[in-house]
Amino acid sequence: MSASPVARQAVAQAVPQNIPRRVTINSPAELPNDYSTTPGGTLFSTTPGGTRIIYERTFLMQMRNSPLAKTPPKNLPVIPGVTAKDTEVVHRENGTIVEEPEKPEATDVDNQFEMDL
Amino acid sequence: MNNKANHSVAFQNDKKQAKGEEESKEHGDVSPEMLIKHPLQNTWTLWFFKIENNRTWEDCQMEIASFNTVEDFWALYNHIESASHLKLGCDYSMFKQGIKPMWEDEHNCRGGRWLINLNKQQRATELDNFWLEVLLLMIGEAFAEHSDEVCGAVVNVRSKGDKIGVWTADVKKGESILKIGD
Repeated sequence: MSASPVARQAVAQAVPQNIPRRVTINSPAELPNDYSTTPGGTLFSTTPGGTRIIYERTFLMQMRNSPLAKTPPKNLPVIPGVTAKDTEVVHRENGTIVEEPEKPEATDVDNQFEMDL
Repeated sequence: MNNKANHSVAFQNDKKQAKGEEESKEHGDVSPEMLIKHPLQNTWTLWFFKIENNRTWEDCQMEIASFNTVEDFWALYNHIESASHLKLGCDYSMFKQGIKPMWEDEHNCRGGRWLINLNKQQRATELDNFWLEVLLLMIGEAFAEHSDEVCGAVVNVRSKGDKIGVWTADVKKGESILKIGD
């Protein structure tokens, strides 16, 4: 099972917590569906010292194809070659991996704008 | 003042997983988890930089969009060109909202950066993966309590070799900076 969002205690990790009760797990079916809940009911909605919303990589990657991520943001500015098609740039369809032939490095026009910072 | 590091090695493990997940499934039934937006700890702003004649450097930084949920991050990322396809001389930057992608910003001026230098061949093979990893580390707050020391990150697409920098807030916070570098 992959990681769901985990609100982890960010500070004072060394401080031992008083856990009010223990829940014995006898089979995987008793595990919660979501890491943000705990078996037998969620104990804390906040943690002492404040919480930080942490997401693990696996979960973030899963969300890439969420239906909610399929629509471009509203009011996205039109920037050729970035948010809009550029004549020189072939857009890749989201999710498909198309090996494009490597373009020749740098046309002269590009070079004249180059700035190394 | 820069904390320079050549970091390619550390990032390579993560990369291997990326492919499989990208190809992953079109879901038949949609779980409720897919319908709720997942809030991020911070609101982040994506910037695009392209030098234009008769504009100041600062004016060449264009704000693309801000987001504060996982889904809105992907909605943006899925609909913009990948870093490796930007023209030479262009940058993407992603910073916490309110921090401009320039050293002069009060949040950055006491800071430094971790730098990943890529060679020319790595643009095709690694640049997009590394950049995405950095973005995911930042929005997921993977540096735990040290995440507060992270201001943002910049990818420079250059003919001499691309660079990815993670900008930190305060050079005096040595411990945090080293943890971020790990």
